[in-house]
Amino acid sequence: MATILNWTYDENNRYHRWFRTTVIAITSLVCFVFAWWDVSLLLNSTAIPTPLETWNALVDLVVNGDSVTGGRTVWAYIGSSLKTFLLGFLLALVVAVPLGLVIGYSKTIREFANPVIEVMRPIAPIAWAPIFILAINYTVGPILVVFIGIFFPVLTNVVFGVQKIDPNLMDAARTMGASPVQVFYKVMVPSAVPYLMNGIKVGLGVGWMCIVAAELYAPQLGGIGYYLSTMATNGLWPNAFAAIVIIAILGIVTTGLAEYVHKIITRRMGMSNV
Amino acid sequence: MSEIEEGVRTGSAVESENFIPSSEIKEGEDQIHIRNLSKTYVTEDSETVVLEDFSLDIRKGELISIVGPSGCGKTTILRMLAGLVQPTSGKILIGDRECTAPGSDRGMVFQDFALFPWRSVRKNVEFGLEIAGMPKEQRRERADKYLKIVGLEKFADHRIHELSGGMKQRVALARALVTNPDVILMDEPFGALDAQTRNLMQAGLLKILDKTDQTIIFITHSVDEAVFLSDRIVILTKRPAKIKEVVEIDWPRPRDRASPEFTALRKRILEELEKENVLD
Ligand SMILES: Nc1ncnc2c1ncn2[C@@H]1O[C@H](COP(=O)(O)OP(=O)(O)O)[C@@H](O)[C@H]1O
Ligand SMILES: [Mg+2]
Repeated sequence: MATILNWTYDENNRYHRWFRTTVIAITSLVCFVFAWWDVSLLLNSTAIPTPLETWNALVDLVVNGDSVTGGRTVWAYIGSSLKTFLLGFLLALVVAVPLGLVIGYSKTIREFANPVIEVMRPIAPIAWAPIFILAINYTVGPILVVFIGIFFPVLTNVVFGVQKIDPNLMDAARTMGASPVQVFYKVMVPSAVPYLMNGIKVGLGVGWMCIVAAELYAPQLGGIGYYLSTMATNGLWPNAFAAIVIIAILGIVTTGLAEYVHKIITRRMGMSNV
Repeated sequence: MSEIEEGVRTGSAVESENFIPSSEIKEGEDQIHIRNLSKTYVTEDSETVVLEDFSLDIRKGELISIVGPSGCGKTTILRMLAGLVQPTSGKILIGDRECTAPGSDRGMVFQDFALFPWRSVRKNVEFGLEIAGMPKEQRRERADKYLKIVGLEKFADHRIHELSGGMKQRVALARALVTNPDVILMDEPFGALDAQTRNLMQAGLLKILDKTDQTIIFITHSVDEAVFLSDRIVILTKRPAKIKEVVEIDWPRPRDRASPEFTALRKRILEELEKENVLD
């Protein structure tokens, strides 16, 4: 790259690489904000506030809380969403991991489970929201929507991971006297962990999309998605956009965190090449 | 690499407090009987006859090499000895017991090492002991002893991906030796290593095995390696594998690769093998 004031970009220097990525990312975001600004000025519609109006609404929301409907802080909204999200996530892990291991392990179980999985998987998780919320209730419903969103990526990745295991490793374990059960939890389970982490990474992204949508159907929960829909229906567009910004930031933080954990675990397990 | 040398010298002997070999067969007597073994792999669109009526007796304590054209069925023979693959017909007797499943009387060293990447070097070596239910402290002590024998005691806490190819193969060897099996099966164990490391590993292996009465069945595609290591060399024909010749070598070790008889024997075996490699 170019030489700027005696400074030459060095591909082998991690700080240089990091600096380069950061500069490009910031430039990208700045361009995005300007494009948004242009669009909102061009359309001149109240439904698309300018970034500045959005920023002001965001600051107001963070500093003063929800001054429109009264009383609640932004943290209350976020906390409520995170709680639903976390419960859905944990439920998905508890169900998908053992199921994925078993489906990956046994051909018969796989053949039995596959038709059901293939029927269920293409259904958008959000489609379940009204059904779950009406059929069960508004607390459990959104949790189940998040559950569905995270469940399938985790399940398919674990199944894939178990099938990708180096057969030599299982043979090695067998020659050292390992029983089928020992082969399962001493070889197959650890081999599948990097794939599980990958499934979690994908699942968190999908789950985060689900939570907001699910909350639109469950106003009683009072999550950030509920705030978004209230503001939008009342025509308070800057506030609605402020909510969108918060949702985006939380989404980035969640997947970034997952990516970080994925990296640490695969490196610790000496399996970063997966 | 003085580590091997040092490790071999310090690792007094390969003892067996916990794993007493079960057989009463004396050194030099026939221990493994491969009887009329046949194997046909059946897949959806083909049938491959790998072995047909293959018989061989293997003596206790010997190092027997199997050489043959690539794809002739060497690995298949070894995997049947390990109990990982079932023969189509015929049987394998170890002592007077029929071999049908993997067992702690046989250890195996794989060509691509087959080490567990998520375990440390020590934990890899401990695997078989863990399966045998040995208590933690004892396991650790024993694993460390074998790591010392292969000269890797300094690397006990390392991860597998931090090791070189030669070091990985030494971990695999320690892992196979640690449970003190009667028989060690090695499938082209040094095939993935560079020539220099390979020679060091061969010398190291001989020193380690000098102290034990284990039977080694050693597959290699290197005739040089076979002549350097073996008490006997079994030369196989192309698939379906038959025994073309069994060569006895009673020269003392370590053998001199440059000696006339070494080069002459190597040349003769190579010529035998080349006849098998002719495409027809
Ligand atoms: N699991 C299997 N299924 C089908 N064919 C196999 C299988 N394993 C090996 N073969 C075939 O059997 C033949 C002998 O294989 P192998 O024992 O690995 O030979 P070698 O070790 O002497 O190179 C090869 O032609 C190989 O393709
Ligand atoms: Mg082979």
